[in-house]
Amino acid sequence: MKKKHLSKRLSENGFVASRAASYTANRVMKRTVVIIAEHNEGRAIPMTYELVTLAHKIGEACSLELKVVVLGAEVETISGEIATTTGIDVVAVRNTSLATYNAELYKNLLTEILSLMEPNFVLAPQTTRGIDFAPGLAVRLKAGCITGVNAMGGKEGKIYFSRSAYNGKIVSDLLPLGKTTVLIVEPGAFKPHPKISSFPGNVDLRISTAEPEKTKSLGIKSAEREDSGLAEADVIVAAGRGIGERKNLVLIERLAGLFPRSAVAGSRPICDQGWMAYKSQVGLTGTTVSPRLYIACGISGAIQHTVGMQGAGFIVAISTDPNAAIFNMADVCIVEDLTSFIPTFLEVYQEKAK
Amino acid sequence: MKILVCIKQVHDPETIFRVDESTGSVKPEGHVKYWMNHADEFAVEEAILIKEAHPGTIVDALTVGPDRAARVLERAVGMGADNGVHLLVTGEGYISPLTIASWIASYAFDREYDLILAGVMAEDHMNGQVGPLLAELLSLPCATSVIFEDLRAKGGMVHVEREIEGGLRDVLELALPALLTVQTGINKPRYPSLSNLLRAKEQKAFVIDLETLPSVEEREEVLSSHYPGKSRIGMVLEGDQWKKASQLLQLFEKKAFI
Repeated sequence: MKKKHLSKRLSENGFVASRAASYTANRVMKRTVVIIAEHNEGRAIPMTYELVTLAHKIGEACSLELKVVVLGAEVETISGEIATTTGIDVVAVRNTSLATYNAELYKNLLTEILSLMEPNFVLAPQTTRGIDFAPGLAVRLKAGCITGVNAMGGKEGKIYFSRSAYNGKIVSDLLPLGKTTVLIVEPGAFKPHPKISSFPGNVDLRISTAEPEKTKSLGIKSAEREDSGLAEADVIVAAGRGIGERKNLVLIERLAGLFPRSAVAGSRPICDQGWMAYKSQVGLTGTTVSPRLYIACGISGAIQHTVGMQGAGFIVAISTDPNAAIFNMADVCIVEDLTSFIPTFLEVYQEKAK
Repeated sequence: MKILVCIKQVHDPETIFRVDESTGSVKPEGHVKYWMNHADEFAVEEAILIKEAHPGTIVDALTVGPDRAARVLERAVGMGADNGVHLLVTGEGYISPLTIASWIASYAFDREYDLILAGVMAEDHMNGQVGPLLAELLSLPCATSVIFEDLRAKGGMVHVEREIEGGLRDVLELALPALLTVQTGINKPRYPSLSNLLRAKEQKAFVIDLETLPSVEEREEVLSSHYPGKSRIGMVLEGDQWKKASQLLQLFEKKAFI
C-alpha cells in the first residue's frame, strides 16, 4: 500500500525515468539538475567537475537538463570557463557584495533563481561553504536535503543516493520524496568530468544589486598557521583518537622517524585536545595530502578525515576496532593496539638492521 | 540574554552496528556506551562562557531523543546550563534532520532566544543539517563551523569567525537573534561540577511530549542500510604481533618506502 503510494508520488515528481515532460497551461517546464559552482580566486573549484559527473548521471537516469549557477562579484571568466569546458548552460549572477561568500545573499539569490527553474535536483559541494548555505536553501525551496552524498544508484525505476554514517561504518541509501532535492556531495566521491565539449553552453549573465541585511561579511582572515610540510612529505604517520593518551604520540614520532622525508599528522580530535598543532591536521578543515605512504594509527575513518588523505599512494591502517571504516580504504589492515604494535614493529626493524 | 544550546546523545564511536538485512535498519550491538556528541560539548561550553561574561544570561540546553538522552541534559546542567529541555522521542530509530529541526523550531519560536548554539555535526549520522535548517525555519541568520565568537549584545550582533578550507577563516557579523554551529576546538569544555550535577538531578529536565508538536512531511526516506564496500584491497595481516610486524616491514622494503 505504502509502496504504491510512493511510486505514484515519484512518477508525479518526475523521478521515474521517462521522456514525458510535465506540461503546464501555457509553458513547458523543463526538468533540471542544477549545479551550484563554487569558486575561489577567480577559478571554479576542481570539485565543480565532480558535480558535473553526478549531474550527468542523474540527468541520464531521469531525462533531465543540466544547468550551472555561479554567484560572485566577478563571474564572467568562471562562467565562460564552465560553459566552454562542459557545454552546459550557465546562469551567472554578478553582485559586488559577493567579493567574499555571504550565506544570506547566497540563499536569497539562489531562492530567486531556483524557484523559477523548479529543478528536481540541486547539487552543491560538501565544502564548508556548501554545508553552510545548502540546508537553508532547501528549507526555502521546500526541498529535501541529503548531505555527504557519495554514490547514486537505481532500483525498480527509482534513483537513490548513498551516504555514510556512524564514522563510515554504515552506508544508507536515501530515496528522495519531494519535488526538489538538494544534494550536498562528498569531495572525491565522483571522478571529475573531462573538460571537453564540442558545443559551448550559453552564459546568461545577470546583475544583482541586492545586499544582505542580517549577515555582514568582513573578509577572509588567515589563521596563524605556519606550513607543516605535510604536503611535501613522502610518508605520513597520522594519529587519531585511538592513541588514547598524549604520551603515545612519541610512538607515532618514532615510527615516522624510520622513513626518509616523513612527517607526523593528526586527526581533528587530536588537535582539539591540544596534543598536536592544527597545522598538522589532515582532513576537511585541515590539509589535504597525497603521500606515497600513509599510516593511519587509531583513526576511525570518518569522512571528515578521509577526504584529506584518500589520495595517498598506499594506506596502512592500525586500529583495535575491526569494524573501523578506515579498513575499507586501506591497502593493509592491522587489527592491533598501536601502543603495543608500534613498539613491536620498532623492535623487528632493529633486529633486522643488526 | 537568553541562549538555547541544542545537544545530542550519540553512541561511543567504537560501537559495533548490525544491519538487519530484512528491514534495512541499523542497531548497535552489545553493551553500548552513550555520551554527549563531541562538538556539542564545545557549544555548551561556549554558552556558559557567554553567560559568565554577560551576567543575567539564561542558558537552556535542549535535546531530542529517547529516555536515555536525559543524561546529556544532566551533563549540560552540570557544566552550568540553567535548564534542560527534553523533546522526548519514544523508541529508537532514524529521525530526519528536518523533523528534528522542525520540532526544535516549534519549541523555540515564541521563546525569544537571542542566540541558538549547536555542535557543527553529530558524530552518528554526520548530516550537519539540524543547525542550518533550524536557523532557516526560524528565519535567523546563521553561521556554521564557528571557531571564534564575540557577542556584542549592546550592538545587537555577534562577531564570528568560521573555519574554512586551507586554514583560513571567514569573518562576519550576524544581527541577533542568530544561530551558530560550533566547531570543535573553539574552547576547552569544562567538567561538570558536583554541585551543578546535584542540582541537575534534583531539578529534572522539562519534558515535552512530541505528540503536542506539529509534524512535517518527510522529503526523503531511508531505503536501506548496508556495510560499505572496500575502495582498496584491504589485506588483513594475520598471526601474532611479531609476525604482523615482520610482514609489514617486508612490505615496506618491497615497496621501497623504508
